[in-house]
Amino acid sequence: MSRIAYDVRNLVKTYPKQSSRATDDVTFQIAEGEIFGLLGDNGAGKTTLVRQMVNLLRPDAGRIELFGRDITEDPRHVSRLVGYMPQSGSALNRLTVGEAVYFAAHLRGLGASAAKRERDELLDLLRVTEIRNKSSSHLSGGQCRLLQLAVAMAARPPVLVLDEPTNDLDPANRKYVWEVLRHWNSEYRTTIILITHDAVEAEKVIKRVGIVQRGRFTALGTPAELKSATALKLHVELSFLPGDPPELPPGMTPWKTADDSWALTVDRGDAQELLAKLDFAKITDIRLYSATLEDLYLHYVS
Amino acid sequence: MSHDLRDAEAHEPAVSHDLRGQPPHRQLVDLLLIQLSNYRWSWRGMVVTGVCAPLMSTVGLGLVVKQSAQANLLYVLTGSIVLSLMFQNQNNVAGNFAFMKAVGTLDFFATLPIYRHIVIVATVLAFFVLSIPSLLVTVIFGSFFLDVPLHVSPLAVVVVPLCVMPMAGIGALIGVLARTQAEAGSTSLLVSIALLFAGPVILPPDTLPDWLLAVSRVSPSSYAASAIRQVGFGPVTGQLWVDVGVLATLTLVVLWTVGRKIQWHER
Repeated sequence: MSRIAYDVRNLVKTYPKQSSRATDDVTFQIAEGEIFGLLGDNGAGKTTLVRQMVNLLRPDAGRIELFGRDITEDPRHVSRLVGYMPQSGSALNRLTVGEAVYFAAHLRGLGASAAKRERDELLDLLRVTEIRNKSSSHLSGGQCRLLQLAVAMAARPPVLVLDEPTNDLDPANRKYVWEVLRHWNSEYRTTIILITHDAVEAEKVIKRVGIVQRGRFTALGTPAELKSATALKLHVELSFLPGDPPELPPGMTPWKTADDSWALTVDRGDAQELLAKLDFAKITDIRLYSATLEDLYLHYVS
Repeated sequence: MSHDLRDAEAHEPAVSHDLRGQPPHRQLVDLLLIQLSNYRWSWRGMVVTGVCAPLMSTVGLGLVVKQSAQANLLYVLTGSIVLSLMFQNQNNVAGNFAFMKAVGTLDFFATLPIYRHIVIVATVLAFFVLSIPSLLVTVIFGSFFLDVPLHVSPLAVVVVPLCVMPMAGIGALIGVLARTQAEAGSTSLLVSIALLFAGPVILPPDTLPDWLLAVSRVSPSSYAASAIRQVGFGPVTGQLWVDVGVLATLTLVVLWTVGRKIQWHER
């Protein structure tokens, strides 16, 4: 049986001078060792929700328990167990990269030599060893995100709360960070809660997802559950020689057209008819796939 | 929700090491070292406002009153020392707290297992350490230029930091309350100037109107200037204990207020 890491009950938060709730009666649990993704539009209330979960914002109503203990009654319980990576900001701006990771590990409880080892391992893991002596204030956007991730991971807290961890990263680093998070989760059974707009990559890592809209969950479950619940269609991408498109069965219309490619959505039952009708001599490439997490996200927020 | 996890019992997660953080004295050392890294940006300001401004006030006012009584020269010198301490402590601490608030450092600290009051004390102490070079330059140059002999009491080791604390605390309060860094900077500068002239700090008491002397009884800079005059140039009198008492009380009140107002776990 899974054990609860976070238990959030009827959480409500309204900012001063705002009429609508930023968090509107939200209830959910996150299991220990789970990777939980929060998706939603800008301003949907995702950051407000996680800032309450790391005790940087106090809810107006409701209750948050972390490993069975109310976090508002014992704030140090959160700081002891959770590594938080904020959406923006540079945290330890005056320190070098190496100093920032060392002090985070040491202040979380590691001894001096263990904190130094931790620093070296994390910088190596996140491939930022060559900038260890660089001032945090002189980093590029991507380097800054990697440093913030290293600082959140320092001393290996059992819970990581990451607000858009792959923002500002180039595609290679983005892919690598997802691998690191998956490895961290399986190696240390770290519970990871993350906000992301990178739904395509996140799908490979996230075990359960919550889609947030106007401060509430509009969907909550595993990607497979959400896909089956929505009975989404199949997606087809066709590539062909420029100016020589294939013929489609009657009633099928591509929703995205270019000179050498089309994208269309078909009912599962119609996929066979489409494949039978296509003249593969004209097709240079074809992709047929079920709904992605991104499709789900777009479906639920629309 | 499809996964019901409610059956689980409250428990601690399995962690391979102690994540309870460091004891307070180690937190203080770490945070002091973190805040001392501010020398990387503050040294330019230290040269300009911590050294040049007090030296200019020493020379400017010194030339005006050089022919007058030794006591007046002493006021010019101690006033310049207080000016140096205010620029280096109150203004820089205000700027640093506003900066930490703006870039998320305070949020970051709030997510670590550390105490907010240790963050405040470490910040104030770090800026005091960073202000020592400019303090020494002001004292040595001023003493030489104005021909005011130094008679440093051993009590200076305790009294000078105590003079700095209320000013740094006021700076911290300005920093945590200001909405922007610019607002913190301008407010702190205004308060510095007000404190400098709200009493017999840089100007002798016989040049001030009675109402200003009355106002000076609630100004920390008046007590700091009085204490510095006694431990730096002598003689130490019973007034020193009054000064120390007031400065210590102000320090506690201001730092406690900063602790209440700082953006930490929101209350």
